[in-house]
Amino acid sequence: MTNTPIKTDITTALSEQGLGEQPWWVEQWMELINSYRFKKRLERAWTYAREGNVTSIRFEGRRVHARVQGTDEEPYKVKLWLDVLNDEDWGYVLEALTQKARWSAQLLAGIMPSDIERAFAASGRRLFPFKLQEVRSECSCPDKANPCKHISAIYFLMGDRFSEDPFVLFQLRGRTRSKLLADLAEQRREALKAIAIKSNQETIVNNELPVAPHPAVIEPSLWWAYDASLNADLVVITPAMEGDTGLHAAGDLPLAEEPRYPEARQRFLKHLHQQGEAFAQQAMLQAMAAGE
Amino acid sequence: MSLLHATWLPAIRTPTSSGRPALLVWADTWRVAQPTGPAETPAIHPLTLDPETLRTWLGEKDLLPEGIIDATACLTLPSRQIKANNKSKAKPKETNAEAVSEPEWTGLPLQAGEPIPKQCEWWPWQVQGLAIEPSAATNWLARLPLSGGQPDLGDELRWWSHLQRWALSLIARGRWLPQVELSKGEGYPHRARWVPLLNREDDRRRLEELAARLPLVATCALPWREPTGRRSNRITRLRPEAMRAANPIASCRPRSGRLRVANLLEDLVDAQLRKSFEPNTQGLDPLLTAWEEALGSETGVIQLENEEAERLATASSHWKEGVAGKVAAARACLELFTPTEGGELWELRFALQAEADPTLKVPACTAWASGSQVLQLGEIRVENPGEVLLEGMGRALTVFQPIERGLDSATPESMQLTPAEAFVLVRTGSTQLRDVGVGVELPASLSGGLASRLGLAIKAEFPDTSRSFTLGESLAWNWELMIGGVTLTLRELERLASKRSPLVQHKGAWIELRPNDLKNAERFCSANPDISLDDALRLTATEGDTLMKLPVHRFEAGPRLQGVLEQYHQQKAPDPLAAPEGFNGQLRPYQERGLGWLAFLNRFDQGACLADDMGLGKTIQLLAFLQHLKIEQELKRPVLLIAPTSVLTNWKREAQAFTPDLKVHEHYGPRRPSTTSTLQKSLKGVDLVLTSYGLIQRDIDLIEIIDWQGVVIDEAQAIKNPSAKQSQATREIARPSKNNRFRIALTGTPVENRVSELWALMDFLNPKVLGEEDFFRQRYRLPIERYGDMSSLKDLKARVSPFILRRLKTDKAIISDLPEKVELSEWVGLSKEQKSLYSKTVENTLDAIARAPQGQRHGKVLGLLTRLKQICNHPALALKETTVGEGFMARSSKLERLEEILEEVIEAGDRALLFTQFAEWGHLLQAYLQQRWQCDVPFLHGSTRKSERQAMVDRFQEDPRGPQLFLLSLKAGGVGLNLTRANHVFHIDRWWNPAVENQATDRAYRIGQANRVMVHKFITSGSVEEKINQMIREKSRLAEDIIGSGEDWLGGLGVNQLRDLVALDDNSSP
Repeated sequence: MTNTPIKTDITTALSEQGLGEQPWWVEQWMELINSYRFKKRLERAWTYAREGNVTSIRFEGRRVHARVQGTDEEPYKVKLWLDVLNDEDWGYVLEALTQKARWSAQLLAGIMPSDIERAFAASGRRLFPFKLQEVRSECSCPDKANPCKHISAIYFLMGDRFSEDPFVLFQLRGRTRSKLLADLAEQRREALKAIAIKSNQETIVNNELPVAPHPAVIEPSLWWAYDASLNADLVVITPAMEGDTGLHAAGDLPLAEEPRYPEARQRFLKHLHQQGEAFAQQAMLQAMAAGE
Repeated sequence: MSLLHATWLPAIRTPTSSGRPALLVWADTWRVAQPTGPAETPAIHPLTLDPETLRTWLGEKDLLPEGIIDATACLTLPSRQIKANNKSKAKPKETNAEAVSEPEWTGLPLQAGEPIPKQCEWWPWQVQGLAIEPSAATNWLARLPLSGGQPDLGDELRWWSHLQRWALSLIARGRWLPQVELSKGEGYPHRARWVPLLNREDDRRRLEELAARLPLVATCALPWREPTGRRSNRITRLRPEAMRAANPIASCRPRSGRLRVANLLEDLVDAQLRKSFEPNTQGLDPLLTAWEEALGSETGVIQLENEEAERLATASSHWKEGVAGKVAAARACLELFTPTEGGELWELRFALQAEADPTLKVPACTAWASGSQVLQLGEIRVENPGEVLLEGMGRALTVFQPIERGLDSATPESMQLTPAEAFVLVRTGSTQLRDVGVGVELPASLSGGLASRLGLAIKAEFPDTSRSFTLGESLAWNWELMIGGVTLTLRELERLASKRSPLVQHKGAWIELRPNDLKNAERFCSANPDISLDDALRLTATEGDTLMKLPVHRFEAGPRLQGVLEQYHQQKAPDPLAAPEGFNGQLRPYQERGLGWLAFLNRFDQGACLADDMGLGKTIQLLAFLQHLKIEQELKRPVLLIAPTSVLTNWKREAQAFTPDLKVHEHYGPRRPSTTSTLQKSLKGVDLVLTSYGLIQRDIDLIEIIDWQGVVIDEAQAIKNPSAKQSQATREIARPSKNNRFRIALTGTPVENRVSELWALMDFLNPKVLGEEDFFRQRYRLPIERYGDMSSLKDLKARVSPFILRRLKTDKAIISDLPEKVELSEWVGLSKEQKSLYSKTVENTLDAIARAPQGQRHGKVLGLLTRLKQICNHPALALKETTVGEGFMARSSKLERLEEILEEVIEAGDRALLFTQFAEWGHLLQAYLQQRWQCDVPFLHGSTRKSERQAMVDRFQEDPRGPQLFLLSLKAGGVGLNLTRANHVFHIDRWWNPAVENQATDRAYRIGQANRVMVHKFITSGSVEEKINQMIREKSRLAEDIIGSGEDWLGGLGVNQLRDLVALDDNSSP
């Protein structure tokens, strides 16, 4: 499953192939591009992207910096950015986010909540750009049109890059993941102060209390002692059930594909799967030979 | 003996190298060492083997790893402070190094097993050893034994081998993902890593187990940096107080085991996968190519710009986040509660649960309320509890959608589930949730354990008419169906099944019905089987045993049956049986219980193995049992007792002394009956026949024909090898022929722990219990011996334990029955060679003495006695041989017996002092014992240098892995020494002065002795040794007067007296 389903016909490919397989925010981004009126320009841009003219995309703070090899000898420099939310706006967003434990829960587990916009609604702002026009851009090419084909090429590749890290969008809006989580925790603490006062305090200790000494300090013979027997589950070492390995569970690698190597990610994963089977065989043989 | 250790050396990462971790293998050994202390750098550990010796030693043990280099590390070890000055007078004065400044602190590092001093301090020591690179280390660890019993491997090696076993299991199950680990700082390389996934419930639990039991020596190292500058002049002092204040020596601080163990595991998994991985970069883009190559490279360094590496790191970590979270002290937990009366909605409560102890839980509100503070769950500290809980709930949401509803508020504490949702949670959701690292607690009746399956509740008792004497006897019984802790009738089951709802409520409990339940129950009802006492014993032996496929959840026995069951399963001490009439002696309380137990099993025709510790009197318990049968008029046919030749004399003596009514016959010697008819004739009126294992094998055809009432084997380990002839012959004899034969085995070894030897024993006692040998090997022996499989071992023990009674000297119940010093007479005979040598010596010398002038007689008499005592020890001693030749043991019955007893001593981990009055014998014995057990046996005698003596004594007393046997000459070692570590004293030959013997015994039996002391005195029956022993006993007062001064009094004996004293009484020896 690739996150760049576009082959030749951009519009149909987008709506029919693999849409459901993509993270929703990538999907949303692609929809945004497809709502663009100048299809011809988009097509040319896609060809550009596919042929590997985009030499780099970097997320630097709140901006996306990219280089696109155009007709000129030097690659053109492209910059993309969104309107940043100010602190006051973020204040509203954070407050709203705190109201629903699920949002924090998902963000902490690395998942972008699909209804995240509702938290932003409180500030009257959005996380996602509503129209492509909200995506600000600059290109060093001579073309006066915006978006030029260099910028449009970046649009295409951005979707995939969002899948690598759902928090990139927050970053573009002015908050990194760690800052966001820290702010959320702070906000939650504020909200919880009221509860804390009335609840039972016994189980909670202050950070400054000394840590209980390790048992080996009191009983130094523990420095050497180990008398457990092998865990029963480890006596016979068995392989995973079909389709039950970590690779299966993790699924597709969320790494944007380089257009010039269309199969690269699939090859990488397939090879890992094959190697994993060999690893397992080897491990079982070694386990069987133990104690002989 | 040296002890092997293994300590992980964390990687040193520098801008120039990625740094790889390594396993440091080192060994410490006991030796006399000067206390030393840190100066500019930590002191050199004075007790380690140098790398060269270590290599040689490992080579001998076939444990030399590949890919090793000599290495030094700085290990933090518990240490004992010893002031250098106070000690110097005892040491040679070579401390003339004037330039070296005296360290403030001096002492020695402790060794594993050494007694812990009151004041224990932690100090860093420079330790030399061999460093193994990671992938070679994993190979090496995989070769280590998984179960214990290797005295020269440190405990932590087993911990390591278990960790490596886990790594193999993770690899076999594919629980890993490749990751990119970003540089820790400017200039350091980024690296590709293979990372284990620890999201599954059992893996998480295992992490907790291994972390809780981590022997800190495995991780107490700082890599040693040669002291090149000022940075290394800071000396580490880690006193307990300082440790409590969390002295920041990161790698030594005994804390946070979970994370540390997870890192070690990661290192092991990474090393193995890295080595096995064959990169294939065909068709990969530059980013993936770089990653692929780095994953297969030795160092893992990834050749990418920061930016690209960061991209890969983010993507790979996002990839992994979907499967496994961070290693934390606690996790989110969902608790399901059944609907309240009349309601139909189930309640799901959110909680925070300690990883290390799932019973430690707090409701979500507590986690919310703790804000930024640390939450204390029992002893466990949870940082950021709110975040831990939230993260878990976020993960839970990915596998159990309904939770979404419950997370709508800011601080959710619980939610309600529909019956359908609850069923999904019970059936599949709970497993999936546990797989992503979220705890799930279901109501007990639904928790998926055995109890939640449909089974039986049984009530049974002996029928009123029964005498409860046979195994096959039918019991009066009734039963009910039972599930989830509640009973139900077949009709009720039908009604519940007709509801077609998977979760149903019955008698207030919610239960889950499975498709086949009704069918199984109907089949059982229509069969309505009988059960026998035999069934009852089986069903109560292990949990979850089934009757016609239905597990038995509850077994209620009536009072009479209960009594039998408890006794059979040894849940209570056996009912005592008082010494029978005609038994000439007293039984201690535990011996009465042993007698009761033998009688109990005999009643049910079950073979019994009495495996009491040496010195607890197995012989007299058996004799009392035979006397009991005799008095009860149940002894109608002869009983065959098979024992090693060396103890036959002992048996005869003990039978004479304790059960004079029993008629004992010896089937032994060249004059034994050789035809059935003569044998049968000679057995008329005989109660007990003594014979040896050797003769059983030779005379099997003859002996087999006799209608024995029972067969007893002494030193039952003699039949341990099932294919050996004497084992086969012995088991053959035990099979019933015309009549049943009772089977009793006696042994002092811990039989139940010697899996390989159990089969033959049980085949002798009760062949059905363990089945055929092949089955036994596959089902029990291989899993237990090779992998240390505890569940198989548990099952095996449950099967055999009704038939083995083992009490130890150290048991609380026994200790109070035993005196602190137990004297045991070990009666032994003479070998053929000893006998002829003895007779010849007596003949030749007595005449010479009679003819000798008065003045010389005295000396000659003493010379004769000495020579005879030497012959009783070993012919080689009398013949002045100086080497231990072939067949050395067989030439002396005394040595044969000594070896048998020492075998038990060594097996039990006990320590023994062996006294002899002959230095030459000491040397021979030392050579023999060292060869026999492949271990060091020190010998302290008159010409041992003083410094050496002290070293021997210190080593015996202090070295945790010191020698178990210590030979001493009576004169040199009999006084002054303190050897309280020994709990056995052997007087191999007798000194006819009890005071001298007692003084020697008191080396062990004195203040500081924590155990019972067993004193073994060897007496060669029929010889001068026995005569004098008798004299001392009979005239003990006289003896004290006369012989108080030594052996001189013997010199004054008249020739006739002397002849009586020394003549060999040939009948008394087999």
